[in-house]
Amino acid sequence: MNLKINKKITKQKRRSASQWAVAWRRFKRNKAGVAGLFIVLAVVFVGIFGDMLAPYPAFPDPKALTPFYNGDVRTPPNSKYLLGTDTLGTDVLSNILHGTKYALYVGVVVTAITMAIAIVVGAVAGYFGSWIDNVLMRITEVFLVFPSLLFILVFVRVFTLGAGAGGTFNFLGINIPIGLTIVIIVLAVFNWPGNARMIRGEFLRVRELEFIEAEKALGASNKRIIFRHILPNILSSIIVVASLTIAYAILLEAAVSFLGFGDVNTVTWGQILENNFSDMRIVWWAEVFPGLAILITVFGFNLLGDGLADALNPRLRD
Amino acid sequence: MTETLLRIEGLKTHFFTEAGIVKAVDGVSFDIRKGESLGLVGESGSGKTVTALSVLRIIPKPGKLVEGKIEFKGENLLEKNEQEMQSIRGREIAMIFQDPSSSLNPVYNIETQLRDVLLAHKSMSKEECHGKIIELMNLVGIPEAEIRLREYPHQFSGGMKQRVAIGRALALQPTLLFADEPTTSLDVTIQAQVLELLEDLKRKLGMSLVMITHDMGIIAKMCTRVVVMYAGHVSEIAKTEDLYDHPRHPYTASLLAAVPRLDRKQTLSIIPGNIPNLIEPPSGCRFHPRCKYATKKCSEALPMLEEVDSDHFVACYEWKNITLKGASGKSD
Repeated sequence: MNLKINKKITKQKRRSASQWAVAWRRFKRNKAGVAGLFIVLAVVFVGIFGDMLAPYPAFPDPKALTPFYNGDVRTPPNSKYLLGTDTLGTDVLSNILHGTKYALYVGVVVTAITMAIAIVVGAVAGYFGSWIDNVLMRITEVFLVFPSLLFILVFVRVFTLGAGAGGTFNFLGINIPIGLTIVIIVLAVFNWPGNARMIRGEFLRVRELEFIEAEKALGASNKRIIFRHILPNILSSIIVVASLTIAYAILLEAAVSFLGFGDVNTVTWGQILENNFSDMRIVWWAEVFPGLAILITVFGFNLLGDGLADALNPRLRD
Repeated sequence: MTETLLRIEGLKTHFFTEAGIVKAVDGVSFDIRKGESLGLVGESGSGKTVTALSVLRIIPKPGKLVEGKIEFKGENLLEKNEQEMQSIRGREIAMIFQDPSSSLNPVYNIETQLRDVLLAHKSMSKEECHGKIIELMNLVGIPEAEIRLREYPHQFSGGMKQRVAIGRALALQPTLLFADEPTTSLDVTIQAQVLELLEDLKRKLGMSLVMITHDMGIIAKMCTRVVVMYAGHVSEIAKTEDLYDHPRHPYTASLLAAVPRLDRKQTLSIIPGNIPNLIEPPSGCRFHPRCKYATKKCSEALPMLEEVDSDHFVACYEWKNITLKGASGKSD
């Protein structure tokens, strides 16, 4: 009897105790976080397959106006048009489905650019300190002091006019709207300073930990310490901030488009809101449903970010 | 006399803080011999850790090596550039630290950390590396090495972590190891095991060990020779037995008297006063304000180390005139 029990114990696979394995187990228990994950996965799914699922194509494809030519302008949700048609005579459901990929494009690319710059700046400032830290922090302060939305709107308008936007450019076989890309770049430029400060703070914290001194004593170079020792230790903060930045970027782009500064030729959720705003009293479904899409998506990313934050920290019990 | 491995001459390391210049190490000279166990003893703030950091040249900001010469294998370490120092650290000279919980990177498993150290200095195949790592784990006495290798630092106990840290420091078989209070954060039974391990490894690898500690008991057990430091200066250097039986510096005698003893009843003897302010240290001998044998001369100029006996040096003007009690309680 005893022998059987012993064999069972030795055969048990030891659970991985890496920070990721531990975090995943914690995350699974967080209902809100898991809900956020599902929402995000759903949004990504729609983003990939939206173009195929949508009954009608999106503007500027002329077929988008099929409801218009059928005389179905401003019709409320019915069996033919599940979410109704809007003031331009396009199908609201199709617009939302097409707009999903743009929302993700904005969220992911803004975050990627922001984090790339923020990590470099934060690492250099936090690790090397002294005058370079001073210079970089003063630069970030400039960005943080000014009203960013105002500047974003101005820069977007200036660059959009300058680029004669409205068209798309081809990248790896996909047609990417220029106007939207300009919005993305401007958003990223004004977003990185905040994240850079956070990352710098993390570098300052980890830099003082004893294992960094131990690695130096073993002959590690600065480059090695930054990339192999400090960065992996702050990866959890970076991931959390990244998911929250995606949410923020989607929301901000919706705001920029809603205010009329976005890419008029690209049907993003914010753009739908802008198009139908004046007729909102009549065509409320064309405002409410895209608005709900924005709400759910941003909410989903926020829940995911919160869930990740809880799961990744504290990640180890000492 | 055994060959010298490392010689420190007139080392001065100062910290340039906003409150002033902290003269943590202010003119330290001693040598480390091949294959010896050298104790570096002193209170907190005496400069013993900074001395070790200065040899490896990893002094944290705002510290700076201001003056001195450190000769290692015939070359002056202070003239080397950062890249040259990086190839010396870990490979020729290594260091282990006090708190093993924080001296290992929490996000990598043990195998990865050991592999990193090996591959940073030598190139070898994955199998060779793995083999070497298993060897190391066995060397430092970690059971079930294959399984434990894939585990993370937080899955080890304090003593085990320190063994891993020791293994990591010795991965490339350095000739000199600085052990900075390696057992202070461990409980006493584990302490004994780790000290024994260090002794064992020192013999097996034929390396020199510098034991930095404030614990006179560890010195007695581990070290053949001792350097006593006070407020950034060396006050006495002697063979362990010599130091314990015939101390020549009042500070050393006070240190020995302060060790609590089980074999006889006595009130705990303390050294009156506090360690001096290192920004504005006392003039002359740094110990003179707390020394009961101090004379006027002691406050005027810094005493230099002079040879008192065979391989026994002391920095004190009054050594000829005073008789001090050794650890056994008997005077000369």
